[in-house]
Amino acid sequence: MSGWDGFLHGLSVAAQPGVLIYCMFGVLLGTFVGVLPGIGAMATISLLLPITFYLSPEAALVMLAGVYYGSQYGGAVASILLRLPGTPQSAVTTLDGYPLAQKGRAGVALFTSMIASFSGSMIGIFVLIVLSGALAKAAVAFGAAEYAAMMILGLVAASTVGAKQPSKALAMVVLGLILGCVGTDVNSGVQRFTFGQTELMDGINLVALAMGLFGVAEVIANIRVAERTGVPPRIALRDLLPGKAELRRIPLPALRGGSLGSFFGALPGTGSTISSFLAYALERRLSRRPQEFGNGAIEGIAGPEAANNSAAISAFVPTLALGIPGDPIMALMLGALVIHGVQPGPLMLEARPDMFWGLIASFGIGNLLLLVLNLPLIGIWVSMLRIPFRLLYPAILIFVCLGVYSVRGSSFDMFAVALIGIIGYALSLARFSPALLLLGFVLGPLIETNLRRALLIGRGDPMVFLERPLAAVFIIAAAGLIAMSVVQVIRRRSASAGGQTP
Amino acid sequence: MIISRRAALLGAAAASLCKPALAQEAGWPSQPQHVFVGFPAGSSPDLLARIVTEPLSDTLGQPFVIENKPGAGGVIGVQQMLNAQDIENSFAATINGPLTTAPRLTPNLGYDVESDIAPVALIATSPLVLVVSAEFEADDLSGFVDAAGAEPEALAYGSVGQGSGAHLTAELFSDRAGVEMLHIPFTSYAEVTTAIIGNEIDCGFMAPSAAMQYVEAGQLKILGITSAEPFAQAPGVPVMAGQAGLPDDFRAELWNAFIAPAGTDAAVIETLNTKINAILGDEAVQQRLLDMGWQAAGGSADVLAQRIATDTEVWGSVLDRIDAKD
Repeated sequence: MSGWDGFLHGLSVAAQPGVLIYCMFGVLLGTFVGVLPGIGAMATISLLLPITFYLSPEAALVMLAGVYYGSQYGGAVASILLRLPGTPQSAVTTLDGYPLAQKGRAGVALFTSMIASFSGSMIGIFVLIVLSGALAKAAVAFGAAEYAAMMILGLVAASTVGAKQPSKALAMVVLGLILGCVGTDVNSGVQRFTFGQTELMDGINLVALAMGLFGVAEVIANIRVAERTGVPPRIALRDLLPGKAELRRIPLPALRGGSLGSFFGALPGTGSTISSFLAYALERRLSRRPQEFGNGAIEGIAGPEAANNSAAISAFVPTLALGIPGDPIMALMLGALVIHGVQPGPLMLEARPDMFWGLIASFGIGNLLLLVLNLPLIGIWVSMLRIPFRLLYPAILIFVCLGVYSVRGSSFDMFAVALIGIIGYALSLARFSPALLLLGFVLGPLIETNLRRALLIGRGDPMVFLERPLAAVFIIAAAGLIAMSVVQVIRRRSASAGGQTP
Repeated sequence: MIISRRAALLGAAAASLCKPALAQEAGWPSQPQHVFVGFPAGSSPDLLARIVTEPLSDTLGQPFVIENKPGAGGVIGVQQMLNAQDIENSFAATINGPLTTAPRLTPNLGYDVESDIAPVALIATSPLVLVVSAEFEADDLSGFVDAAGAEPEALAYGSVGQGSGAHLTAELFSDRAGVEMLHIPFTSYAEVTTAIIGNEIDCGFMAPSAAMQYVEAGQLKILGITSAEPFAQAPGVPVMAGQAGLPDDFRAELWNAFIAPAGTDAAVIETLNTKINAILGDEAVQQRLLDMGWQAAGGSADVLAQRIATDTEVWGSVLDRIDAKD
């Protein structure tokens, strides 16, 4: 049984009332925790895990998975409305979602993100059904050299995301790379920049960093605006829906973002945060109106949101087909499967077809539910903007604290998020982009570990990056991108030298 | 800081005799108990802890709540147990690392195993298996040792990090077999397995549970096991000791243990040890552990203390050898 037959069989499992109800509960809860800044799928799934002992394995896994991809829908809401990403994956969505909301087009931004999320998920599911075998093989073929080369390409491609000044952009990426060095060096076991703190041995907590840079910094920035100047007018329903011209700008970016996301999601260790950054970079490069990016470009929401949702779905490929979890949340899902006596891995498809296809079919059902639930909710989310700051911001701080603490129950992380928040505020005053810092932070350790690992395996020969065909392609593409940018700069210089404008 | 306070407490014999009496009269446990685990929910140390704490809650009539405090290879869980001891009875379920190799590998550990930790009971042990790709040239251990000995660093092995059980076991093996292998650190068994299947590296030591299904799927093969006797979860896998030039006492095991802060009422430790041994004697529990790749252990608190001492010495000498190489 494979492909569509399996999916249809899975539908019969996932549509059982006992499973369906938990699917619905999962996605609803997922949306909700996704909206709350800081509290994400990770915390919710760990809290739900002990409860699932009392459920059937199918119901349990369908519910937990629902929380995971449901949170990707919700994550965009706070990004768009408040410039506070609900989850690190939706940090990029702040870049264009928030400016759009500032223009009174919050409904349009939310609509775009919902539709793009849904499209992305559908692409992810399609890829899962049709290509899961091929993707699983690709994941094994990806060695350290390929990862390092691909991440270098990613860093080069995305390092100008949301930047108005290249030098400031570069500074932020580098700062992110440096922060990514904190912790135990995987290759040598040496502690770097931990200052003797055991809490720093595993590095800076990603959620603390994202919530500090975006969430806390935004709250501090708003302290100076004591009360909202002029309550936003009540938005009529027709303003919530995009016009024809805007609608037309959604499908292509969603398709591209979804494809990109499903590829990256399937590679263990890369994850949806990176894919949303890359989708954004891709859209900006392809756009005929790159100047709109950062000021409310529809494509800048559709691409990344489709990417992080499809990545969330295809992340199940390595987890289920190889038994290799791609990120901490997937590791938790793997643990949940093991608790229920299901061993994910190469044998799972044969040993537990009900479970495998039931779960995949539930993604389809769950995403449909999410779309149906979320579209009418847009109006309610937008009305969140009418909550007075003095109530809204303290509540947000509480949620940020709860969320950061829940990641690993560490009070150290609470102090970290406060400190990072202050730094984030200072950076935003100086007009540095925190999104780029996050990018460097996520990509840096991946590049370093894989680069050094590839060299170690190659007994020190740097040619490993060019001898392996896939790695060579990535390296050449990265070199090509750099060359293109250099040519662009030179042309612009000579053009401005010829013209009157400096 | 903890050390000095502990030392003072231990010194004041009267004080430490007073505390247990009170605890006993109050009919321990009279309130929920906290069990710290230095790994996230859903991880294998967490699942092992839950297998013990669930029946423990039932028999002792108070919930034993798992507190996941992941980080620093399980060290943070032990630190948190010690930090919490003044507020309430606190315990921890931990892997071997924080009790054996952590003093060597973790700067500012904040505790001394001998003076700050009271062993309660060994929960379960797991041997490691030597895994190679199904396409690997040799089919048995002596063939492997020949291949590894062809030249220094002829073979590369993966581990789950510097100082991890997988790393130290491989170094112990290299030392005893007289070969030199190249160490490639990863962060999880899943990554190591992928790298072996993808022929990026040649081999690795890992828990049988992490390898078995890939063996069944024909992607990996197992050349030997580090326990003294064959292991039910790895049927047909030969014991390594005494083979291919390895000494007869060659052995390496991972384990999980239940511990308390030093100074915990002796009667409380006694009660816990008895109950945990009873739980581990249950066949259903043994089967659950086996399904996860673990062998129920048990025994007195002294058995655990002995285990800590032996392993600290064995792995200490392996660490000496690694340090000398660098």
